[in-house]
Amino acid sequence: MAVTHESTAGMGGIRSAGDLVFRMELQKMKINEAKKYVAEKLRVSVMDLADCAVMKDLREELNIGTVQSRPDAGVGIQTKFRIAELLGVPINSVDMFKRQAGL
Amino acid sequence: MTKKYLTRYGDNYVGELTEAEIRQDIEDGTLDAADRGQIPAMSQDEMDYLYEIITSPQKIVSVEPGKEVVVSFDAGTLKLPTRNGIPMDRLQAVITQERALASDSTELCHVDYSYKPIKPIISEERQAMEQIQLMTTIPVLYGAMPNLGLYTKPDGPCDNWAELLPAGKITEAMEAQEEAVEHAIKDIVFVASSMIESGADGINLDTVGASGDADVKASLEAVRILSKKYPTTGFEVGMAGEFNLGMHGELTFDGEVLAGMYPHKQVLMAQQAGVGIFGMAVNTNSSQSLAWNLARVVTFAKETAKVATIPVHANVGMGVGGIPLSIIPAADAVSRVDKALVEIAGLDGL
Amino acid sequence: MSKEDIIRDAIESMHKGNEKLAIEAMERAIAEGLDPVEILADGFSAGIREVGDLFSRGTVFLPQLMMTADVMQKVSALVDKEIASRGLTAEKKGVMVIATVQADVHDIGKGIVASLVKTQGIEVIDLGRDVPVETIIERAEEHKADIIGTSALLTTTLNEQKKLEEMLKSEGLRDKYKTMVGGAPATQRWADRIGADAYAEDAGEAVVKALALLGH
Repeated sequence: MAVTHESTAGMGGIRSAGDLVFRMELQKMKINEAKKYVAEKLRVSVMDLADCAVMKDLREELNIGTVQSRPDAGVGIQTKFRIAELLGVPINSVDMFKRQAGL
Repeated sequence: MTKKYLTRYGDNYVGELTEAEIRQDIEDGTLDAADRGQIPAMSQDEMDYLYEIITSPQKIVSVEPGKEVVVSFDAGTLKLPTRNGIPMDRLQAVITQERALASDSTELCHVDYSYKPIKPIISEERQAMEQIQLMTTIPVLYGAMPNLGLYTKPDGPCDNWAELLPAGKITEAMEAQEEAVEHAIKDIVFVASSMIESGADGINLDTVGASGDADVKASLEAVRILSKKYPTTGFEVGMAGEFNLGMHGELTFDGEVLAGMYPHKQVLMAQQAGVGIFGMAVNTNSSQSLAWNLARVVTFAKETAKVATIPVHANVGMGVGGIPLSIIPAADAVSRVDKALVEIAGLDGL
Repeated sequence: MSKEDIIRDAIESMHKGNEKLAIEAMERAIAEGLDPVEILADGFSAGIREVGDLFSRGTVFLPQLMMTADVMQKVSALVDKEIASRGLTAEKKGVMVIATVQADVHDIGKGIVASLVKTQGIEVIDLGRDVPVETIIERAEEHKADIIGTSALLTTTLNEQKKLEEMLKSEGLRDKYKTMVGGAPATQRWADRIGADAYAEDAGEAVVKALALLGH
């Protein structure tokens, strides 16, 4: 059922910008506000956010993780360092990593 | 001969209905929700659009490009390794959701999906969260149910109100629930705090209200404490049903009686508590058609989204939100539910 | 006071769970020579069914419903006493064995059904939750039940209701009992498919269907 939901109505996770918009909803932004916020930060249009063609290029360029695992591609916590900076919101695991690594 | 459309019933089985029957079910469904919730019914235009969605000749329908929403998950890591029986651990399950299923977020959880039994294994849960956070990009929440039933004897310290009530011991039943609320708040705060300290992106309280209004009270009070303690963390509360079952009947939150509250009132309490995402639930009636069920859900969802200042997600799992009550709900029905909830009700996510 | 006034008070007493008002209404009915069974059926039973309906809409809460059921039982006892004093025997409408099926521990709904059915002059033997089909049949035999009611909340346990039908048939007992099914995944179509005699969506409907199965 997860596949049906994601393909009929979902933003597509890290195929596009679903994870980023979700992070803003966790900050109590409603969907349109969250999309607008993320689009402005990424300097794309709101329509682009769920477009995997635009977002694949952009995610690779920003090194914030995609569904493909490639050499030199950002993955996991590395990507979240960049996402926290890009969106201007704290990410709990990033702050924890910094504390633990003494950064 | 009158044309008939292939549709579904709430028990997931196919049925054939005429245009008039479908339109009647839509009207009956929306009026039922309006009557129960004392909220506006769908407009004629909305009912016409819902009719179009339901009778679309396509097997799968979808939202229009640009109207996509985000998807959150309850019982996250219970799904692939446990319910689907796929031999993978929870880290693998989360990464599969991120990389293969393109989920916008997911949830780490334990098979014993309640806050109380997590306490003795909190170290293992923290370790799992910390490892998962190193490997993932999408937001990963930690989730469990408040499940107040676990605080009753013999599993817990409180007398069992489900036995006391039929025996006419009303006061004792109410006191037992009040006692359980206090235990549950402590457990939820303890487990959630520990998981936040281990990097969780948010905390999900799932199936809130399954044990009645005391369950709701405990959850809201716990979120109020947690949201003050961790102001940048997101808290999601997913409800068990369309109204708070009054097992106690007199419990309040910020002066409002919780029992009997429908989603558009539940969400206001959630907001006041500090909830970040509200997961509304409307029960699917397995005897009624998809048209009837979906019209009801859309009616509740539209009003809830309208009054909410926080994002509202619909619980669209088995047997709620218009999804048929089956472990394998038909994709044609699921896709129609999604489209209607996003495009007519204006929800922020699923 | 007219019969209509007494019936109105009886219904109101159920809505308020007001024992004093209920007892007074029935005592007045008896004092005025009215048929207490008729007052019970048209006043109190009708009232408690309305309360059950309000419960299913979230307007009335469980303690109130249970309080009303308790008052109803006290009124029923008063009626039984009056009938006995007239040298008659109170009519027991039948015996119902009720259980939540094996592997299912959800018994809130089943408990409400049991409480409401009990108020209608039907003896209810509540076997609790997680009850194997074999036990349900054994207890139905032991209590000479008229109706076997089963509740299943989970799609995974629903099949136990079918198992009950099959076991009753294989043991040659099917015609001895009327069977009723309920629980969220159960439907009339499910009842038809497995051969159950009745399906009830909620406690109010369960009362009506149980009475109908017993010919009332």
